[in-house]
Parts: sequence; C-alpha cells; structure tokens
Amino acid sequence: MTQSLGELTTGARRVALVGLAKNTGKTVALNALLAELRAQGRRVGVTSVGRDGEERDAIDFRIAKPRIELAGESLVATTDLLMRTSGLPHETLERTGMRTPLGEVLIARLRGPGIVEVAGPSAAADVRAVADAMLAYGAEQILIDGAIDRRAASSPDVSDGLVMSTGAVLDRHIEEVVRRTAEAVELVRLPVADDEGEPLELAPRFALTAEGEQLAALLDAHPDARRLRVAGALPDRFLELLLNAAHRRRREFAVVVADPTKIFLSKRGPSWFRAQGIDIQTLRAIELKAITVNPVAPQSHQLDSARLRALLAETIRDVPILDVLHADYAASTALSGSRAP
Amino acid sequence: MLRAVDLKAVRPYADHLDDGLVQLSFTLPVSYSLAARKAALELAAKMGFEEPEVVHYEQLTDGYTYFVMYGRCAQTIDFTTLQETGFDIEYLGEDEIERFAAEHVGRPIVVVGASTGSDTHSVGIDAMLNLKGYHGHHGLEGYRSFKTYNLGSQVPNGVLLAKAIEVGADAILVSQTVTQQNLHVHNLTELVEMVEAEGKRREMILACGGPRVTNELAKELGYDAGFSKGTYPNHLATFLVRELAARSSAPAPA
Repeated sequence: MTQSLGELTTGARRVALVGLAKNTGKTVALNALLAELRAQGRRVGVTSVGRDGEERDAIDFRIAKPRIELAGESLVATTDLLMRTSGLPHETLERTGMRTPLGEVLIARLRGPGIVEVAGPSAAADVRAVADAMLAYGAEQILIDGAIDRRAASSPDVSDGLVMSTGAVLDRHIEEVVRRTAEAVELVRLPVADDEGEPLELAPRFALTAEGEQLAALLDAHPDARRLRVAGALPDRFLELLLNAAHRRRREFAVVVADPTKIFLSKRGPSWFRAQGIDIQTLRAIELKAITVNPVAPQSHQLDSARLRALLAETIRDVPILDVLHADYAASTALSGSRAP
Repeated sequence: MLRAVDLKAVRPYADHLDDGLVQLSFTLPVSYSLAARKAALELAAKMGFEEPEVVHYEQLTDGYTYFVMYGRCAQTIDFTTLQETGFDIEYLGEDEIERFAAEHVGRPIVVVGASTGSDTHSVGIDAMLNLKGYHGHHGLEGYRSFKTYNLGSQVPNGVLLAKAIEVGADAILVSQTVTQQNLHVHNLTELVEMVEAEGKRREMILACGGPRVTNELAKELGYDAGFSKGTYPNHLATFLVRELAARSSAPAPA
C-alpha cells in the first residue's frame, strides 16, 4: 500500500520540494500535495525560491509548465506583480521589502480559489522568514517549491522535510538516472558527525581557494588531526586535493560541514570518497520524506515509470518512491491533472 | 484620425493597424524549384499564417533555397496582462549614476565579474566591466563610483566567490551562455548555492548576463537581475546603484 505525499510529509511543518534538474516534476509534486491538502481542508502556505506556475519554460519555450492552483484561504508569498497579474481577490497581509527581479515579495491570503504564479524570496534566510510568517498567519503547513536544481531551501536552517524530484531528464539511460539519483540521496542522508575529538577548524574560504601546498602545510602542522571542520561551502576540488595529500601521508580524514546543502560534488559521490579514506559528515541531517519521479523528459525521451521506480527502490532504501501521475499512486483519484506529452 | 490600438488584442503591423502582416525568411534544404516554392507556402500555412505569399526566393547553393515570405498572422496577444513585467526601467546616464551613487551609497561600489565554468566567452563581462566597454559606452571600470575586478573566463565558482568575499564585493556579475544543456544552468545555480553556503546571500547582489537571460530566468536561477542582449554598462550600473540604495534604506528583516 503506497502512502501519499501528504501522509509522508505530515510531520514536517515546512516542506521543501527540490529537483535534481529542471523538469523533474517539482511543481507536479507540489500540485499533488496541494490537491491532497485541499481535500483534507488543511490550510497551506506556498512559496517558491524560483518562479512556479508559469505557462512556459523560461529556457525552452516549447515546454508547457503546470499551473499552481490554490484553495481559497491559502496563504502565498509571491511578488506584488504576479499577485496582481493573477487577478485573484486577496488580502495583502504584509509587504516584506524583499526585492526580486519580478517585484517585491508580499504575503497574501486568497479570498477564493484560483491559479497564481508563485515567486518568493530568493535568499534562503528570507524563504525561512516568509515561511514562518505564513505559519504565524495561520497556515498549517508550508510548501516551498524549489527551482531548477537549487538545494538551499532543503537546508535544516530553512525547512523540516524534503521531497526530492528526479526523472528521465537526467539521462537517456535508466541506469544513469538511478545512479545520479542514488548519489543525490546519499548526499542528503550523510551521517551526522560523531563527537570524537575536537575538529581542526579551517580558515574561512580555505576550502574554496586552497592550493595543494597550502593544504599539505596545514596537514603537516597538525599531524594528529583526523577531522576537518569547513564552515561554509565544500567544493569537490578541495576534496580531491585532500585525497591526494591524505594518500601521500597514509592518513584518513573526516570532513564536517553544517549540512548537506554546503557540499558541491560533480564527478564522484560521497561513497567513492569514503572508500578512499575521506568521510564527509554533517552537523545536521535533512529529513528526506519521499522521492517523486517524472519518467518523461520533455521534447526528448520517456522511461518506463514502474521500472524506474523499481530500480530506484533496489538502490535507495527506506524512502518511498512515487510517480504522482501514475495510476498506482494512492491519491491519484484526488488529482485532476495528467502528464503533459 | 488614427485608430486607437486595442491593447487587449495586439497583432503585427505592416501597412496599416491590425493587418497582421509578417515577413519571414528561412532556408529549406531542397533544390531551387517550383516544388521548393510550394513547400515553403505549405510550411507557412502549417505555421498558421493566412494568405502566405513568397515574395522572393533564390538558390543559396546546390540543394538549398532561401525564401522571403509574407503571411497574415491571425493570432493576437493581450498586452495588458504583460505590461507590468518590469522592462520599462528608466536608465540613468553616467553623470546621473555618479551623482546618485555619491548621494545614496557614498562609497565605492565593488563589483567582481567573470565567465564561470567552462564558458570561454568573456565578451559580455568585458563589455560591462572594462574601461573600453562597447559602442562608445565605457564599462564600470571608468566610473568613479565603481571599483571593479574582472577575473576573466573559465573561472571556477569557488574562486569567483572567494575573491568576491575577500574584496568585500557589493555585487557579483557572471556571464554565461545559457543553453538547453543542464550544464550551463547548473554553473549558474551552483554559484548561488555556494554564496548561500558561505552565508553571504543577503549581503551580495547577484546578477547574471548572457544572450538568453531574462529576468524570469534570473529569478529561477536565484539571481537578483538578469541582463541580455542590448544591455549597456549604464543599464547595469543603474540597477546596482538603485538596488544598493534600496537595500541600505530598507534593511532586510532579521
């Protein structure tokens, strides 16, 4: 028996929807959640770190995008311009002073149901601020839609639970879609650092700019250091340098970051680095609630939904994997939309 | 007496208002022939043009024919729903920018720019930042109120960001040729995510430029502004001084 997205995210007051790329079905997942919560009469607050509910893709104009339909009494954080364009009757609760390329973000309560384009604040801290404001105005749950492959809203500093969207758009080959999804899941579910010993705190931005020689000098100055603490961003370039230096010294390291959104890997996943003696850890975990799949790559190819979900489930344990547009999705009866060709 | 334009149903204008006439040109990979002309007419009809007409066609080279056509466009656009999308900014001239910056910012505005990732095109960044500028508009380097750092092309996001933090940048400007390939888009979003990871997102203005970058795309990418073809350095400078002035007068909520 499949649990629905709504059931899976019940415990999270602020849910972030993050995709691994454009067109992985974030907004479709958002709509599925919205439909379910509407059917239960739950009052939601919605915002987006990007722009959602637009008619056409901003890069490929041929791609029609899903609209966002909100129930009456819903709260929304979007720009003044988009609120006006929606033509929906609403009450402006707050002008936030947060500026975006599409106008100033305001918090509004809809007076009736309707379709609205949602573009909230861009900065993660501002997203958290409007989410908390909407909770204070009476929303029971906040849904934060992501944009493209941006992950910042899934940080525990911003949200309490994550719905990850993946799909055929990642690659033509189903195995590659599975591999890249599994790697992204591994990243958000990295182990939380244990408290063994004081970590060596790296200087601000050292991980961004250090060259091999500087790193070597640092490691030699601290022959007993086993844990390195990176305060900000951790790019894979640094991990590769560290790997080299560690091998030469026959040492192993744990690298500790604040949370998984601070880690930037492109070629290799965390398990590869771990096998090489570099263990990436976080101070705070992300609660991954569900994975949604979109088996369709717009204007390109299509994978078999059931097979994709089965292959993902073989590799990724303990997370429900859903195709909210597929007939065997539990809440499908509550959904009105169908997959765009 | 001129007829008023119906902004709820705007269509192309050629000889008179609302005639809907469009000129289009294209090449077909077929030999110059009457059959080629017929193909062009049928194609234009499939595109939805009424009364398509070939006004000129010629052989480009063996097996290729070039066409110029007219057709009547039956579709209309409701312009009233689009009017407030923020294109109609009044840009300041250089002297006005200097005055505005002196009055509202009162210190040099630091801008760090680069073409990031594998993108080798630095033309856009050079035009915006370097003294030489382009089309007789010199770049921000030539403004008294700006201090600029142009890091060039193929700059890793981490290096760009570290430099920006080191020099206390007010703004980062990146140039990237956005295509449908996810790679280019990923380069742009990665920079934004790194700025977040370093905890600097509220302190820095992020602007991106490139041939296909609109404000809508900039918003999705997580930037504060997007600049495309037709942007002059004073357009960018106008945005930056106004944004900084607005930020200093209304600090972001805690």
